[in-house]
Amino acid sequence: MKLFDTSPGLGRLAAAALIALGVATFQSDAQADGKFVFANASAYDTLDPHAVFDVGRVASRINLYDGLMRWQDNPPKLVPWLADDVQVSDDGLTYSFTLRDATFHDGSPVEASDVVYSIERILAMKKGAYSLFEGVIEPGSTKAPDAKTVVFTLTKPSAIFLATVPEIHVVNEELVRANEKDGDWGTTWLSENDAGSGSFMLKRYDPAIGWQADRFDDHFYGWDMVENPLDSIEFRTVVEINSRVLGLMNGDFHGTDGYLPQDQVKRLRDDDNIDVQEEESMRIFYAIIHNGRAPMDDVNFRKALSYSFDYDGFIDNILSGSVARDPVPLPNNMWGAPTDVEGYSYDLDKAAEHLAMVEGEIPEITLGALAGYGQTEQAAALLQNGLNKIGVKTKIVAEPWPVASGKMRDEQQMYDLLFLWKSTYYADPNNWLGEMYSCDQIGARNNSWYCDEEVDALLNEARTSTDQDVRRANYEKANKMLVDDAAGIFVYNTKWFGPFSTRVKGVRFSPIGNGQEMRWVSID
Amino acid sequence: MRALVLTVNRLIWFVPTILGLLIITFTISHIIPADPIAFIAGDNASAEQIAALKEKFGVDKPLPVQLWNYIVGVVQGDFGVSLYTHRPIANDLLSRLPATLELAFVAIILSAAIGIPLGVLAAVNRNSMLDHVLRIVTVSGLAIAAFWLAILFQLLFAMEWSVTPLQGRVDGWGPDVHTGFFLIDSLIMADWEIFGDVAHHMILPALTLAFPAMATVMRFTRAGVLDAINSNYVDYQQAMGIPRRVVIWRYVLRNALIGTVTQLGLIFGILIANAVVVEAVFDWPGLGLYAVNSILQSDYSAIMGFTLIMGMVFIIANLLVDITHGAIDPREAH
Amino acid sequence: METLRFLLRKLAADRTAALGALLIMLLIVVAIAAPLLATHPEDVSEFHPPERLLPPSGDHYFGTDRMGSDIYSRILFGARITITIAVIAITVSVLIGVPIGLVAGYYRNWISDALMRVSDIFLAVPQIVLAIAIAQTLGPSIENVILALSVTYWPFWARLVYAETRSTLNETFIEASIALGASPWRVMMLHVLPNISSSLIVRTTIGMGGTILTAATLGFLGLGPPAPSPEWGRTIAESREFLPEAWWYAAAPGLAIFLVVMGFNLLGDGLRDILDPRTRRSADG
Repeated sequence: MKLFDTSPGLGRLAAAALIALGVATFQSDAQADGKFVFANASAYDTLDPHAVFDVGRVASRINLYDGLMRWQDNPPKLVPWLADDVQVSDDGLTYSFTLRDATFHDGSPVEASDVVYSIERILAMKKGAYSLFEGVIEPGSTKAPDAKTVVFTLTKPSAIFLATVPEIHVVNEELVRANEKDGDWGTTWLSENDAGSGSFMLKRYDPAIGWQADRFDDHFYGWDMVENPLDSIEFRTVVEINSRVLGLMNGDFHGTDGYLPQDQVKRLRDDDNIDVQEEESMRIFYAIIHNGRAPMDDVNFRKALSYSFDYDGFIDNILSGSVARDPVPLPNNMWGAPTDVEGYSYDLDKAAEHLAMVEGEIPEITLGALAGYGQTEQAAALLQNGLNKIGVKTKIVAEPWPVASGKMRDEQQMYDLLFLWKSTYYADPNNWLGEMYSCDQIGARNNSWYCDEEVDALLNEARTSTDQDVRRANYEKANKMLVDDAAGIFVYNTKWFGPFSTRVKGVRFSPIGNGQEMRWVSID
Repeated sequence: MRALVLTVNRLIWFVPTILGLLIITFTISHIIPADPIAFIAGDNASAEQIAALKEKFGVDKPLPVQLWNYIVGVVQGDFGVSLYTHRPIANDLLSRLPATLELAFVAIILSAAIGIPLGVLAAVNRNSMLDHVLRIVTVSGLAIAAFWLAILFQLLFAMEWSVTPLQGRVDGWGPDVHTGFFLIDSLIMADWEIFGDVAHHMILPALTLAFPAMATVMRFTRAGVLDAINSNYVDYQQAMGIPRRVVIWRYVLRNALIGTVTQLGLIFGILIANAVVVEAVFDWPGLGLYAVNSILQSDYSAIMGFTLIMGMVFIIANLLVDITHGAIDPREAH
Repeated sequence: METLRFLLRKLAADRTAALGALLIMLLIVVAIAAPLLATHPEDVSEFHPPERLLPPSGDHYFGTDRMGSDIYSRILFGARITITIAVIAITVSVLIGVPIGLVAGYYRNWISDALMRVSDIFLAVPQIVLAIAIAQTLGPSIENVILALSVTYWPFWARLVYAETRSTLNETFIEASIALGASPWRVMMLHVLPNISSSLIVRTTIGMGGTILTAATLGFLGLGPPAPSPEWGRTIAESREFLPEAWWYAAAPGLAIFLVVMGFNLLGDGLRDILDPRTRRSADG
């Protein structure tokens, strides 16, 4: 049976491992100290920068690859990266980027044609960040008039296009094409190899363990501004929270993710060798309410729901005050978030009042949670507790994310209510409000089946307008209307508690990269 | 001769059994209430994106066609593509199989090394205090939940006393892969540091896994030894003036071991089953952890691949046990 | 009545078996009287966030969990879930497996071969592996755990009854009644079944223990009833995030599983010695 042959993939891995080990031996006495090991909660199943688009595996994208622009710091700023200039036409449809001199890890130059290939690859693979560009850029419409200029032509004006440009990670066209199989855009090959120009170049990869990369000395940005930059980085998958924490305390790891349970953060804070950095992130926790189904289509019932959640008990006790109450569907630290909205509080009397105004029988309400994400289960249990007291029967259903995300797209299957997070994919209010509550996103990214003409008009105008004042005013107003409408239960905005060894210096946090862009970091 | 017939018979049944297993896993994977395609398409997928993926994974075809494709695929060593990682499942499973097998082998050796002598001791000192204590250990071994034992071990040895690593198979990347068995690979490299590290990581998961198996080994060894001691042959030998100690170690043990070997298949089954949770607790990068991660991601194809390969490993193990048994049992040979 | 008295007397004489019976009775009492015995019975669905993760005390015998609920009370209610799952799953698999085994054992034709082949295929894989596949596919709930356990456990009974039936049919008195023209139904119900009942009882008892372990394993893997269910396996899984500080959170449910399974195993061993001398646990009797 073929099953028992050593597959070419494994052989290649083994060969790569051998080569890597040779390199390691060669460098071993250079210094083991310039190496940074990060314990990552989720597995790097694939290194293909166009296949995934999540925060858990952002490190392979931003360290091995470059985009034309990049998000940096907090609050996030959009800075030029591979491109050093961008011209936008007056009609807002044409974006022309000028590239700097940069080289891929194999020494070949980064050219405009590589950027074109990359966007075409995203559009063809229809994975990862594809949805950001779907309907905005047509396949074949991106041009490279010369080696240094790339021109994007949008199908309609979009105020958020620039914000999404960092997700166009540029791959080495020649190298990927050489490894294409049956027109697969090199997906199999690129899932375990590197064709980037990023600050680090892949040395070793094992989907069960993680990946290692060495500093790329010829990176276009240079290394002068970092004193003593890292020689190599390693991102290792360590699923168990306790293992990450203990490994950090033992010195096996130098950093781990910044969204640990507060009990663990406390433990790390007490350790002299660990420095816990605190930043307000942009990742809201809320409950989607199915506005399209009775009785949730009644604003009074939605208000009853919003008044039945013990915000203080959840934030102060269960999460030990590690997050900030956020009464609106936009992170409080994002522009466009109004500062004068008080939002809902835990008030069962008011909840009962609103409940009394709801007509008809109240059926059993299904509260959805994500299996394996304790917080969502705890939030659902807490809401159940409150609703019990005003006489609303509920049932909690905890299902894995894949199941839940499937149901979220289906009006019939969608839970009455579902607790989850909404992270930053690009730092623009549209990432939250526009996607969560626009009418044309219903069934795709609007999983609330919420559609209000006035809100929709505000969001649409904000998405296409280039006038920042108009955009801000629209988002502030839309936020207030959504809260008045109790479109969802808005709970908190996450804080990031990045635990790092005290030997680590120069971590730069941004909600998009989560402090995992390693080119700024050094270690003594 | 009879042993040979039995073996051939087993071999003939291997194929239909695997085929039956295939049909079972296929059936299970097609009563899915959820939509894995919607998941792999990602957080923000469009309807068009989803349709394209359905075509790619062949889930748009009629069921019998899908079943046929599935069987043909598996026969060719193609377990399908992980809905989550987009990599061939057979590759993923194969690369993780050695970790599970290594753990299971070490656990089997441990359970035999501890279980057999204790079983003999218990039998020889029948109804003594020792026998009673060992019986309690035996019964506990089969009553304790493997995942709970694993957590208790971690709590005491790794967290409280810090004498063993908490999790993982090795610090860092481990030895060069020749066999996939890290203990052997590190010996090939003659790297004692890695060997020690691998062994250190092995202690807790192997002990956890060995505990219930050891209980079973002990139980059967004790029963086997008692049967043998009570047989006429032993009386005869003793009557011939051969010291009791010699009789027990030479004759009795051999007979008792035959009984234990017969149960190896059963023991292996217990090990493999417990390996799923033990690997999950210790983050041991084997098949069990792969399965648990696939559960969290609802990667049905991967879970079916895991079920199949576990079935195959188990069936092959039992086949080997039967053959071994035929070879060492004098009653079978005649 | 006479046999029952005999059984009880024998059991009382076997100290470990008696201990087993005692543990099981305790489980049953706890499951039935959970609301009376619990110190905070409302904590199955009531939460007190300010009191979370408190260590064991006079008020909370086994401490509190991540929601501030009393672990002792929740363990008692968890016993109900455990008992429900195990009893229904065993009953269903016995009801499916025993008739199949009887029929396949009694007749010697292709149907009985086919039946046994199918059960062999199921038995070719460790039960937990198939149960995981099924439970995962159907989604996490008590009903699906029961279904997964039943579907994967019946072949064991079919196999057992098949073998016992085959050997019983060789007994002279059964051969005689078949020769006298007794209907197959009559032979199976009146002669075969009573003959294999003692070994069924022993296996059921031990099977209860195994089923409880498997069910807890599914719960631990997140395939059992969802939060805030007090199911034992799930509680242990929940606790891992809070170790080593909240050790009591993991200790209590694990100990509960251990004692209950131990009870069934001890009783099963004892019953085997009394009812089924052929397969005694040891030659010394």
